[in-house]
Amino acid sequence: MRPLDETETSAVFEKLFKFVGNNLKSIVENPSHEGPDSNPGRYCFRLHKNRIFYASESLVKRATNVARPNLVSLGTCIGKYTHGGNFHLTVQALNLLAANAKHKVWLKPQSEMSFLYGNHVLKSALGRITDNIAPGDGVVVFSMADVPLGFGVAAKSTQDCRKLDPNGIVVLHQADVGEYLRMEDEL
Amino acid sequence: MGKKKQKIILPPELPPEIPDDEVEVSDEDLQFVKENLGYASLLSSLDTHSITKHVTRVADAKDDALEELYEKRLRKNALKKEKEETGLQVDRVDALPIKALDGTLHYRTATKAVSENDPSEEGTGEDISKEHGIVKLTKAEKRAKLKKMKKEEKKQGKVVAKAEVEETPQAAVLAEVKEDLTAEEAFENKKCKLAELGNALLTDPESNIKFLKEMVQISRDNDPTIVKLGLLSLLAVFKDIIPGYRIRLPTEKELEMKVSKIVRKMRYYESTLLSAYKAYLQRLVILEKKPSFQLVAVRCICSLLDAHPHFNFRESLLDATVRNICSTNEAIRKICCSTIKSLFTNEGKHGGETTVEAVRLIADHVKANNCQLHPDSIDVFLSLAFDEDLVKSKKIEEDQKLKNKKGKKRKNMEASNQLVENDRKKSRQEMISKTRDEVEADYKAASFALDVMEKRQMQTETLSAVFETYFRILKHTMQSIGARPEANPGLLSASVESFPLLAPCLNGLAKFSHLIDLDFMGDLMNHLKVLASGSSNSGNSSDKCSKCLTVSERLQCCIVAFKVMRNNLDALNVDLQDFFVHLYNLVLEYRPGRDQGEVLAETFKIMLCDDKQHDMQKTAAFIKRLATFSLSIGSADSMAALVTVRHLLQKNVKCRNLLENDIGGGSVSGTVPKYQPYSTDPNLSGALASVLWELNLLSRHYHPAISTMASGISTMNTAHNQVILTKSSPQQAFKEMSLDQQLCFTQSGSLKLNNKKRRMNGPASSSSPTVTTSFDDNELHRKLNSHFMLLHDIKENERLRKELDWTALSLQLYEQYKKQKRRSKPSK
Repeated sequence: MRPLDETETSAVFEKLFKFVGNNLKSIVENPSHEGPDSNPGRYCFRLHKNRIFYASESLVKRATNVARPNLVSLGTCIGKYTHGGNFHLTVQALNLLAANAKHKVWLKPQSEMSFLYGNHVLKSALGRITDNIAPGDGVVVFSMADVPLGFGVAAKSTQDCRKLDPNGIVVLHQADVGEYLRMEDEL
Repeated sequence: MGKKKQKIILPPELPPEIPDDEVEVSDEDLQFVKENLGYASLLSSLDTHSITKHVTRVADAKDDALEELYEKRLRKNALKKEKEETGLQVDRVDALPIKALDGTLHYRTATKAVSENDPSEEGTGEDISKEHGIVKLTKAEKRAKLKKMKKEEKKQGKVVAKAEVEETPQAAVLAEVKEDLTAEEAFENKKCKLAELGNALLTDPESNIKFLKEMVQISRDNDPTIVKLGLLSLLAVFKDIIPGYRIRLPTEKELEMKVSKIVRKMRYYESTLLSAYKAYLQRLVILEKKPSFQLVAVRCICSLLDAHPHFNFRESLLDATVRNICSTNEAIRKICCSTIKSLFTNEGKHGGETTVEAVRLIADHVKANNCQLHPDSIDVFLSLAFDEDLVKSKKIEEDQKLKNKKGKKRKNMEASNQLVENDRKKSRQEMISKTRDEVEADYKAASFALDVMEKRQMQTETLSAVFETYFRILKHTMQSIGARPEANPGLLSASVESFPLLAPCLNGLAKFSHLIDLDFMGDLMNHLKVLASGSSNSGNSSDKCSKCLTVSERLQCCIVAFKVMRNNLDALNVDLQDFFVHLYNLVLEYRPGRDQGEVLAETFKIMLCDDKQHDMQKTAAFIKRLATFSLSIGSADSMAALVTVRHLLQKNVKCRNLLENDIGGGSVSGTVPKYQPYSTDPNLSGALASVLWELNLLSRHYHPAISTMASGISTMNTAHNQVILTKSSPQQAFKEMSLDQQLCFTQSGSLKLNNKKRRMNGPASSSSPTVTTSFDDNELHRKLNSHFMLLHDIKENERLRKELDWTALSLQLYEQYKKQKRRSKPSK
């Protein structure tokens, strides 16, 4: 377990910035209320076994007691480094992203399942969409009842969505909560 | 005026009186003369000469004709005096100086001349008024004319009086008077002629068409009143005789051809009419630029344009009208605006072409003036009406055509299958369809109804011009906002400068939002977003820029954005998050006195009440902020806010745990565990972790309606199946409350009654209203007294302090002065 170096930090922040925009500040400066410490610490990012964890400082302090090979996880895992050296966000980051999301898409109830099976979001599935999404932006997918379902990358801007035919892809799938069942082992 | 005249006249009166008095010489005078012989000699030598000369000369002039005339006129005058009391001043002067010698005489002749003319003037006035009966200007015109005449009389009187003072020789004065007389006569003659010509033209325009030229000629006169009269009477004539079609002058070929008498006559008539009209318009356009004639000219132009928008040369008319639409003169602007509005509303008169032209011209005008115009010039667009059915009907037609084609194909297939045996049938069908087409074409040519295609074309043109204007204004506002803080932030005038066209532009956008092309939408929304946020770049420049756009303007931007979205996007539900953020922050900037409460209420209605879905977080944040907000503002605004809060709570059951007494937090409130009242983003405020304690305070509000409302909201959670009787919108609530307030100011007694009634109805409202009612007058009096005493003391204190400062300052200055003197002395 170690703090991120410069390139890693920039990679993680860039990825997060796509989803949360200026709210990244609130992610980084979020005061923690965990532990018995009198003054609340902040949350920080840690790298452990190619995975990036988002944990409070008090938790990190306590985790140092565990030997590296024995430490499985701490805090919330928000992503991992692939073998190619790229950083990917995983489903566990969903809560963090959903709370600070800048671009959102709401799915119609009948098409929620399709998304949870790992499919892309089609135009016909859109119940609602936030204004001015640009292609390439990170989008958090919600159900109509405001339950976060997953996230992905916008394939079309909000403007283009209007003219899109119902089978056009709006959001490219990256992660969904269905993965907790489908890929239990990998997570 | 009369006094002045008398003063001027006095000096010539005095010298002749002295010789008259020679008979009555008193003893004292004699003694005086004896004692001072020197004086007397001087007097006698001087006086005799001059006075006798004077008298004789005057007498010469008098003898012949003038005296007789004068006597006659005196009689006449006496008669007239009995009849009319209007010319009192002149009559008095007449009556008084009869004894005197020269001055009075001339004066009389002048006044008599005027009074003689009176009947004829009246006659012409009536003539003209007959004419103007058509234009419906009679009374005002008459009055104006009377005034003018009086003024002229006075002027003449003055001139003559001056002439008297100078004691010019009689002949010159007479000539002058004669000149005046002739000028007036000419004036009268011209008036009469105008009236005659106008009447003749109106009775039989075809045979008297050549009179038009004369009238135009008269309107080129030097006298401004004649010019005005000429213009107005020409207007009446033209309004009446302009035909309902456009005149096309015959080409040379057509002129060469032999035509019947009637046609030739008609051609002559039309060409004369047209040339006269052209000359008249040119004259109008020239006069419109002169300040003294502007109002008359503009009125003529506007009423011509209003009456005959189809006729030739309407371009110049339109041009002049649009140029004056933002004139600084209120009356002119009103006339122009109403004309253009009527142009837009009565499209049937000109078939829509003029509308397109007018809109184009206004767009160009806005462009040329860099968006610094009077808001009226854009308000005009609101009266435009676009036919939405045109688009739909076109589509239906196309569909039908497609169907027909398919049907034909099918038929063809069938026909080929059924061989050629029913060839005859086919040919017959073709015949029928052909004749039908012909008939339709004929019908179209006969009826003046425009082709649907043409109409559509014109509508699209109009629309594009209108939106071009709107977008130009938006862009201009954006640019000036963006440029301002960089250019000169210290300059006050820059921040004071407002955007006059923005408000009508936003209104127009809201009205025509359903017609906006989808391609523009993205840009439009971006612009609105920037405008609503009040600054192009976030950060420190925001507080500077918030001065440029008022809160109500920014609220209006939000409203427009929502309307545009709602009207265009039934299929795709777009969440305008940024606008919610702006509204969330704008609520804090709202000041009840400064900003328009109606706009705020409308924003609540459109953004919060009408929108179907909300995030829980966002809703909670808005509920919390509105409740806090309603603590600190006037009753009407807070009522609107409370109605919105109730509405939101009814819709979002989850948010009702704001009403619970224990602090939520944890998983319910998301990642933000604590309420952060200063956060700018409603999603991050963590309002779900808070409690709506404001309602408890509000239930003790002094206004009974608000207190009942607040207590009703706070009991919402416990009474689950409560049927809410009042389903009013925030706008309605605001209106009612503001009305209520006004009533309260006028009759405070009725409030008490209301109060009691409400107490009867609302069980939850506690003892708070009784406190207000139990105040007796004495106590109130005493308290107010003490309050004002305190205020008075403070004022007194301030005044004394100021005085002290003054004296201290002057002492200081004096010391300094002394020191300087001391210093300067040694140096010398």
